[in-house]
Amino acid sequence: MPYAGIIIKICRAYTDTEEDFEDYYQEVCLQIWKSKDRFQDQSEWSTWVYRLTLNVCLTLMRKSKKQKKYESNELSPGDQKEENAPSISDESLNQLYAAIRELSEIDRAVILLYLEEKSYQEIAQIMGTNPNNIGVRIKRIKERLKKKLDGKVN
Amino acid sequence: MEKSIEQIWKDGFLKQEALIAPKVNDLYNRKSIHLVEKFQRMFKINIWGIIIGASLILIASFGAGAGLAGVIIFITLLAVAYSAKLDSDGLKQLDKGQSSFEYLSSFREWIQQSIEKYGSLYRIVYPVFILTFYFGLWFSDLLEPIREKVAENSSNLIFGMHVPTTLLIIGGAIAMGFFAKRIHREDVELMYGKIMGKLDEALQEMEELRTTK
Repeated sequence: MPYAGIIIKICRAYTDTEEDFEDYYQEVCLQIWKSKDRFQDQSEWSTWVYRLTLNVCLTLMRKSKKQKKYESNELSPGDQKEENAPSISDESLNQLYAAIRELSEIDRAVILLYLEEKSYQEIAQIMGTNPNNIGVRIKRIKERLKKKLDGKVN
Repeated sequence: MEKSIEQIWKDGFLKQEALIAPKVNDLYNRKSIHLVEKFQRMFKINIWGIIIGASLILIASFGAGAGLAGVIIFITLLAVAYSAKLDSDGLKQLDKGQSSFEYLSSFREWIQQSIEKYGSLYRIVYPVFILTFYFGLWFSDLLEPIREKVAENSSNLIFGMHVPTTLLIIGGAIAMGFFAKRIHREDVELMYGKIMGKLDEALQEMEELRTTK
């Protein structure tokens, strides 16, 4: 799968368990395969993959939130399984991912695109927002991440 | 030493293991189901298209005073739609218990058989359609003034029809019958080309996976 790296990086930021990660990855692959005929040359293929991956992750996340809400009403606290967060051998990266997962859905997308060295223009294009706000938003997100990582980063 | 967020991100993904894609066991299964279901939906729309088209022709033919031709075309098209419906039911009988590769291969085979079958069927349907349409329209109330004008100005007539035009139409109908398979194949390509392309692509991917295992 071309651009598998992009998909992996984004899916990890939106999932709490290894199982969910695999499901999200699979769903993104399926959606790319289903809709690649609709890809138009107006944007880069990578931009299109980013946008589609983010959309799939956000949709699945919202669905899963609803499902969890429903299940938490159905199950007693003791029935709930302990979650098994997907881990990577690099501890710093793991901590960074954990901090990213605490951000809002949109902030996660923005910071992921920033870390992937996308320009403000591209980030705005993918997110469907104004590029003028992106810089300020990224600055705020980075500050929040630094706080969450508790001085482990500069 | 403290690292920046950007550096952690960059360094973390230098190790290839951080980018190992998970196994996607169910992907081909879902691709197969999606392909077949999409095809079934399109096929169903196609059948309804034939039925609606046939009904409109029937109504229009009575309006034009060519009811008999309309009834013949209507019955012919309904027979095609009914045959397609039976085939569509046959598609549902494909064994879903097979592996995705076998399931899609059976589906591909079903499509090929269907193209062959309809190619043969259209050898009759196309000429019947064209000739009925021509004769029906010629003797309809709608074309009465033209019929009279031709009868006044031409001596080259048979049963009131202009001979060269009639021969041309009959020749066209025979040619359509002769090239029916090729025309139908092009028609299928136009309508289901994308989905068949995806089917071939999926089969090729699965074949590669099977051979590299």
